[in-house]
Amino acid sequence: MAIAKAERLMNLALCLLGTRRPLSKRELRGSIEAYIEAGTDDSFNRMFERDKDDLRELGLVIETVENLDGDIGYLARRDSNRLPPVELDAEEAAALGLAAKVWQQARLAGAASGALQKLRAAGMPLADDPYDHSALEPRIPAHEAAFEPLMLACRDRRPVTFEYRKANAARPETRHVEPWILECCRGHWYLAGWDRERRAERVFRLSRITGRVRSRSAAFTADVPDHVTVRETVERWAGEIATSTARIRLRTGAGYPLRARATAVQPAADGWDELEIPYGHGLDAWLVEFGPDVVVLEPAELRADVLERLRAVAKG
Amino acid sequence: MATNAIDQTRRMLSLVTYLRERPGARVGDVARAFGITEDELIADLDVLPLCGTSFRGGDLLDIDTDGDRIWWRNPDAVGSSTGAPLRLAADEATALLVAARAVATLPGLRESDRQALLRATAKLEAAAGEVAGASSRLSVTFESEGGVFADVDRAIAERRRLWLRYYSPARDQLTEREVDPIRLFAVGHTYMEAWCRLSEARRTFRLDRVAEIRLLDDPAEPPELELRDLSEGLVQPSAEDPEVVVEVGPGGRWVAEYYPHDSAEERPDGGLRITLRTPDPASLRRLALRLGGDGRIVSPPELADSARRAAGEALAAYGE
Repeated sequence: MAIAKAERLMNLALCLLGTRRPLSKRELRGSIEAYIEAGTDDSFNRMFERDKDDLRELGLVIETVENLDGDIGYLARRDSNRLPPVELDAEEAAALGLAAKVWQQARLAGAASGALQKLRAAGMPLADDPYDHSALEPRIPAHEAAFEPLMLACRDRRPVTFEYRKANAARPETRHVEPWILECCRGHWYLAGWDRERRAERVFRLSRITGRVRSRSAAFTADVPDHVTVRETVERWAGEIATSTARIRLRTGAGYPLRARATAVQPAADGWDELEIPYGHGLDAWLVEFGPDVVVLEPAELRADVLERLRAVAKG
Repeated sequence: MATNAIDQTRRMLSLVTYLRERPGARVGDVARAFGITEDELIADLDVLPLCGTSFRGGDLLDIDTDGDRIWWRNPDAVGSSTGAPLRLAADEATALLVAARAVATLPGLRESDRQALLRATAKLEAAAGEVAGASSRLSVTFESEGGVFADVDRAIAERRRLWLRYYSPARDQLTEREVDPIRLFAVGHTYMEAWCRLSEARRTFRLDRVAEIRLLDDPAEPPELELRDLSEGLVQPSAEDPEVVVEVGPGGRWVAEYYPHDSAEERPDGGLRITLRTPDPASLRRLALRLGGDGRIVSPPELADSARRAAGEALAAYGE
C-alpha cells in the first residue's frame, strides 16, 4: 500500500525543521521511506515539489540554499518558523473558539482549527466553553464553487478569468479581472476588482460565475485601492439607496414592510392608507408583489412600470 | 468532515509540540484541546511513530498510548526545534481573523465577549505578523437586528417565553404568537429557532421580520428537540411537499439563486425551467407577480390562475 500523504508530509516537515544545515534533495530522498519508494526520478521530483508547496501552504518557511559546489539544499529555520509569544487568557481563548466555528467552507474551517491548534500547542488555555450555553450561532456559508479559487487569487494577487452571467443576461460573458477582495453581505459572496476590458472597478456576485475560475501568475495593471466598498454597490442593486419619493395607496392592514419603510402614512378613504416611500431601483417589482393591495399614485414613471408588469402577469 | 492530508499534517505538527510539554497526557484531554474526536487522535497517534528525522540514523518518534494516556519516550531524539510552536500560515490567520472580526460586529454579542474578541484579535494580528495582511482581502458582515436580537438573547439566557408580532411575507400578514426560544443563529440574516405555541411546531423566525417583541414572565418550555443541522441550508423542503414548476427568461434567473430547488434546466432563450418544492404553493403568488414578464408559473395551474387573477384585480384599480 502506498504510504499515506500525511505521513510523508510529516516526515519531510520534521526533517526540514530538525536540521541545522541545508539538506539536499538526495539526502531527503534517501531518508524518507515514501521517497525511497517513489520510483523514477521524475515521479520523485514531482512529489517533492508538491510536498514543499503543501508545507508552505501550512505556513512553513522553507529556505532554498545553494552551497559552494552548486548543490541546492533545503531547511526550515527555527527562527523564521516560530510563532512569536502570544498570551491569551481563558476568555480570549473562548472567544476565538467561537469565531473558529463559523466557517462552513472546508478549507477555511480546516485553517481556523489549525490556527487554534497551533495556539493551543503554544499554551493557549482550554476554557470551559462559555458559549456552549449561549444562544448565538453565527455561520458563514461559502458554497459557491468560485469561492476557493478566488480567495487564493485575492490572497496571492493573481489575475483571474471567468464566465459571468449578469442578472438579466441571456448568455455568460468572459471577464478578465484583477481580484481585490471577497466580501460576504447578507449571506452572499461578492468579488470586487478591476475589470480589465471595462477599465473600471466592478463587483461580481459569486453565484453568477459559471464554469471554472482560471488564474495565472501575472502582475496587476491597476492600483489596488486602500478601501473597497462592496456593500454600497450591493445596497444600490437592492434598491436601498433611494433617489426620490413615491406616493402609493395601500390597503389597511396589508404590506407591513412597506409601512415599516414609509416616511409618511395617512389614512385615506374606504379601507386604504396613503404612504410616502423611498423610491430606488427595483421598487416597481417589489410593489407588484402586493398585487391588488397597492396602487401607485406617483411618479408616473413608476406607475407605468408597475402597470407593465401587471399586464404581463394578467396575460399569463 | 473527512480529514484530509493537509489538515492532518497541520494537526500532527501541533500535536508534537503539545505532547512534548505534557508527558502522560490523557487521550480525552488532548482530543478536547485539539477539537477532534478520540478516534481521530488515535489515528494520528498511529501515524506519528512512522515519522521522524531518519536521515540522522533512524530517529522515529517513539510515541505510544495505552488508550488512556500518551507517552513520548524519546522527545529529544528529533531535535528540540520541532518543539517550538509554529507560526501561523496566511490561510490560518485569515480564517481566524476574518471570523473574529465578523463575530465582533454581531449586535447581540455580550459586551464582555466582544471585548475579549477584540483583545484576542489584536494579539493574533501581532503574532501573525506579515501574513495577517492577507486577511484584509476577505470580509464578512452580519446584518444587525439589534433591539430584537438583545431581547431574544436575554429570553434564551433567562429561559423565558416571548410574545411576537411577526410578519409573514407568504401571506402578507402580521400574526401575534407566543414562542419558546431555542437558539439564535446568523447566516447572513439573524434567525431565531423557537417552539411556536400557535402552530405547536418548531419554527424559524427571521429577526428583521419581527415587528414587535415582548419578554413574558412565563418560563419557556420548548419540548426536547434534536437541533436541526443547518449545514444543509435553512430551507429543507421535504419529499412530500407539492412541486412547483417556474419558467423564467434571462431576467428571472435570480429565482434559482434565492429559492432552493430540485432542478434548474437551461432553456434555449437563456432562461431556466426551475422545479422546486414547497409545503405551501400559494405562498409563491408573490413570486409570480414579481416576475412580471420575466417568467411564469407552469404548475400547479391553481397557482398560475391566482397570480393572473390578482394582477387582473390590481389593474382594475387603475381603471384597466
